[in-house]
Amino acid sequence: MGKRRVLGPSAWMLGATGLAIGVFAAYLVKQGNPGNMGLCIACFLRDISSFFGGEAMNMNGFAYIRPEIVGMMLGATVAAISFREFKARGGSGSVYRFVLGFIFMVSALIFLGCPVRAWLRLGGGDLNAAVGIAGLVVGIFVGTVFLKRGYIVGRVKKLAKPLGFVMPAIAVILLVLALVTFYNGAAPGGFSTVAKGAKKTAEGAVFTAEKVVSPADASMVDGAIVGADGAVVASSDSVAAATGVPGGSRAPLYLSLVAGLAIGAAAQRSRFCSVGGIRDSILIKRYDLLVGVAGLVIGVAVMNMVFGQFNLGFEGQPAAHTNFLGNFLPMVLVGLTAVFMGGCPLRQVIMASEGDLDAVAAVLGMMLGAVASHGLSLASTGAGPASGAWVAMGVMAAVTLGIGFLRTQKA
Amino acid sequence: MIEVDVRGFVCPVPLMRTKKALESGPAKIVVLADDGTAKTNVTYLLQDEGYAVAVTNDGDDYRIEGNKQ
Repeated sequence: MGKRRVLGPSAWMLGATGLAIGVFAAYLVKQGNPGNMGLCIACFLRDISSFFGGEAMNMNGFAYIRPEIVGMMLGATVAAISFREFKARGGSGSVYRFVLGFIFMVSALIFLGCPVRAWLRLGGGDLNAAVGIAGLVVGIFVGTVFLKRGYIVGRVKKLAKPLGFVMPAIAVILLVLALVTFYNGAAPGGFSTVAKGAKKTAEGAVFTAEKVVSPADASMVDGAIVGADGAVVASSDSVAAATGVPGGSRAPLYLSLVAGLAIGAAAQRSRFCSVGGIRDSILIKRYDLLVGVAGLVIGVAVMNMVFGQFNLGFEGQPAAHTNFLGNFLPMVLVGLTAVFMGGCPLRQVIMASEGDLDAVAAVLGMMLGAVASHGLSLASTGAGPASGAWVAMGVMAAVTLGIGFLRTQKA
Repeated sequence: MIEVDVRGFVCPVPLMRTKKALESGPAKIVVLADDGTAKTNVTYLLQDEGYAVAVTNDGDDYRIEGNKQ
């Protein structure tokens, strides 16, 4: 009789993957990514959406095709093909997953991060993330109650092989756009991107170390921004006090791309998931996915301390707010939608890249959710949640629970 | 022998059903799956529960056979 093993080989592989993601994430922040945002699936998909949404959708401050995401997609595709796990499949509640992805994203942008970033924020000393993770656990717990009662989003069907290449094809198009933008210095085709290192003054003028980006024709004179007509747009004090534009905070393109490729391949092989650990602990008393998350938190915390990026507390955390319910409630929705989708947003990106069209629907739902979030001013800022966020969360909770009851069949 | 067919399902459903099937302590269990993640997760679950596991490919499907050690 063999003994029951609590932590098997999968736990160590997941732990190593989590550790690597944590270390990469801290290093990407050191190299220029926004604070505690070495990797954030929600934020980075939002940034990619912003490239297309631009000023019309109130997103131009974020516009940048994050190479981490593109790299993850391609890394996962290559790994899946190499290990003969690339399979075109779908038809398992694609519409539900699209809606769940949408709700997930709007909720994540109220908390200010996906579950991956919640763990990364925790490893950066941001205690607001602990509040969010408490909410995440509650949401996942509610999800497991539905799973036990027979929630199934749908049966998966095999599809013709070429259909599996939807996400990889989108990734290649994004990569081409990112490279053209990089070498061109500006986005092609009427799309928008934030200049690297861009800062914005209180008056709304945007500039980099080299030039004034907006308003057009303005220039830097003695530290002040002066318009073409000679009027001062922003004083030198205002320029000195300017803050970084989120989309302009980024690590070098190729570094981000290589980190993404490595993370994507490792996540495909190990099935790393940022919510599955809590789900499996509650549901089937398996803790291997939780070891992955523990590895991530340890990896990023240690490297943050090495790089001097660790800052314990609630106040003054990068891209975060301190509203208790504004951190807790959206993460309840994030946890619930993630369980209903069958995995965290990182897993959705990976599965989409393995040929899963339902996961593609979830990812596209997330990207559209980001457009809606900013277009309708539902996303939080450092000051706290937007006024519309509370109503939005009520509506989204009703829709999510509705999907839960609808897809729960009597066992 | 117990047979569990989880083709068409993605995790955590395959894991939940396999775990449930293991409650009776079968000497031999066969799990049919068609998803790479399910294959890996079920394999690790059975190994951790003390089964010797052999996986065979049947077209696009996986046949995961576990024998209690």
